[in-house]
Amino acid sequence: MARQPPRFYPRLLRADSPAAEDPGVPMDMRHGLDPDTLDPYKNMVLNFFYSYLLESPVSTAASLSCTTAEDGDGVDRVSLLPDDLLRRVVSRLPAKDGARTAVLSSRWHHLWRSTPLVLVDTHLLPAACAGARPGRAGAVSRAVTGAVSAALEAHQGNFTFVSLTCSFLERADRGVLARWVQLLATKGVSELVLVNRPWPLPRGVCLPVALFSCASLTRLYLGAWLFPDTATLPRGAAFPNLRELVLGCVMMTDKDLDFVLAASPVLEILAVVGSQTQLHARLASQSLRCAQFCLSTVEEVAVVDAPCLERLFIWCCSSHGLGTARSKTSIRVKIGRAPQLRLLGYLRPGWHVLEVGNTTIKASTQVSPRTIVPSVQMLALSLHFGIRNEVKMLPSFLRCFPNVEVLLIQSEETHEPTGNLRLKFWQENGMIECVRSRLKRIVFREYHGHENEFAFLMFIAENAEVLERMVVELKFGRYAAPEEIAIKMKALQGAKWASGGDKLQLTFSKFPSAWSLSKGSDFSFDDPFLCLCYMPTYFEMRDSSGQFKPLGYL
Amino acid sequence: MATREAGKKMIMLKSPDGMEFEVEEAVAMESQTIRKMIEDDCADTAILIPNINSKILSRVIEYCNKHVPTTGATGAAASDTVAPAALAEDLKIWDAEFIKVNRATRFNLIQAASYLNIKGLLDLTSQTTIDTISDNSLEEIRSFLSTKNDYLPEEEQTIRRENQWAFQ
Repeated sequence: MARQPPRFYPRLLRADSPAAEDPGVPMDMRHGLDPDTLDPYKNMVLNFFYSYLLESPVSTAASLSCTTAEDGDGVDRVSLLPDDLLRRVVSRLPAKDGARTAVLSSRWHHLWRSTPLVLVDTHLLPAACAGARPGRAGAVSRAVTGAVSAALEAHQGNFTFVSLTCSFLERADRGVLARWVQLLATKGVSELVLVNRPWPLPRGVCLPVALFSCASLTRLYLGAWLFPDTATLPRGAAFPNLRELVLGCVMMTDKDLDFVLAASPVLEILAVVGSQTQLHARLASQSLRCAQFCLSTVEEVAVVDAPCLERLFIWCCSSHGLGTARSKTSIRVKIGRAPQLRLLGYLRPGWHVLEVGNTTIKASTQVSPRTIVPSVQMLALSLHFGIRNEVKMLPSFLRCFPNVEVLLIQSEETHEPTGNLRLKFWQENGMIECVRSRLKRIVFREYHGHENEFAFLMFIAENAEVLERMVVELKFGRYAAPEEIAIKMKALQGAKWASGGDKLQLTFSKFPSAWSLSKGSDFSFDDPFLCLCYMPTYFEMRDSSGQFKPLGYL
Repeated sequence: MATREAGKKMIMLKSPDGMEFEVEEAVAMESQTIRKMIEDDCADTAILIPNINSKILSRVIEYCNKHVPTTGATGAAASDTVAPAALAEDLKIWDAEFIKVNRATRFNLIQAASYLNIKGLLDLTSQTTIDTISDNSLEEIRSFLSTKNDYLPEEEQTIRRENQWAFQ
């Protein structure tokens, strides 16, 4: 893979990352190596996924203390507490400490087994690991795998939260995996994180179909597996309680995804991260509210029938396998029935083929009620202003969303510009409904100083009648001629603003294209593109060792 | 202790040892048990809190006073000017200080929090017990909790074997 960041994964790769893969090791044998020895792209996908795994409700860090060396009256007050209070204490202990309390005295014997279990396998690592997942298969990972098996056997259920992310399960370990899934199903797991370590796929391990017997599942995060072959599943296999499904680096077919959606009648959140199969995602669900596709190979995302869908995010996806020859095929984004769709992005004019209803949107497409998605209020677009075809499609894309109030434009660096489309293009292009009557806020991220960018901003300034704010984030340190930028911005300020006055606010780009899986799925958070606030504090993420790192410096 | 302010509804809480505490209704309602009594109109004059002596009750009220949401008239200034994150951080530090009490008091507080159904206080008091249990040897935990090991040696061996994974 080229060292230079590929165009579609802007600035997310660490510029100084070492030449990661050892060419002496055949591809097949890199299976299970330390993620740090993976190529930077796979490493990033893996870290992105790890950083958004469900957080454990218990922690191993003791945070409170109390005075100890006093009142040695020898009265065992804790044992006098009723069972439900003691279970409350035990339920907050990491599983290992909890299980050990059985040996304290007969009073404690049955408490842990009968307290809903929180099992996090990183808590089972030796203290020397400090919670960091082992980099390669070995004695440490095998000990954890064994302890997990023993804990799942010993506890009587229910399992409130189980997170298993340290094991290196090979095909030979399918028996272990099958037993885990069986125990998880029979003992009633509600929240499950199950991530295998072999890498790279597709030489992975297939999940047992018994996973579909986990009827109590509410949240499910799967990582680095082959998805069970849903064609062999019995009729009626379903996740009746599943609300959230996150698939990281899971190999699945289009039919599997169809099956899961159909078998999960209350599913609200679906996220696909780092999928390497060329997926055609057809979203047909009566309950789905948020769908995300990140860092994945996707050929099509089609919202077929999703009456509750509020959010659709496509971030850093491509339509071809990574590491293979680049093809020219585009991602097809179809918006069928999605009457509640409010947040949408990042669409890429000229590169995503947008289809509304049954109409493929082209530069020449005339607006009609059948070519618009009136529900969308917040829209994010990403394009190369130096590439003529992309800019030409921009007005057509905007016309499809007549009620957009908040617009984010992410400007990508153009390496091979293909001509200018200046103000005249916009003036001749005619009116764009959302710009004229709806647009309240526009954020233009990574302004490079290209003529086409300026022409677009002028068009917005002179036509957006209810605009409240235009934020232009200048790309720091990239200008050949800073004076020209200053002159242009002065000209923009002095434009004849349709909204009555200068609404321009200039800042420097603070972070590159970044995405938060958890914020995207958080329905109480209405600014996943960071258009409204300027406190990007959550653009940090935890890496595999639990350390926080800014996403921009992954 | 809460002070009387105009327009604030006050509630009288009585401990079994005869002490009376006048608190704002909003503060008392941090306790789900008291909230229910008030909502069911069982709280005309005073509420007797059985089993909780005045020393513990005063600590509980201190906790509730600190944790009552500041969105109302009380302490509105604080919530207007301080960022929620800073406020939460402040509360955490306060909690850590608050729970620095001896064992007897802490267990009384657990029981009081349980009876009065005050989730935050219950979490806080349980967490301190947990932090004692985590990462300590069984002997240390037994000694700390004053728990007597009432197993026969062979019984203890069996239980250890059953949970061997936890002792590795």
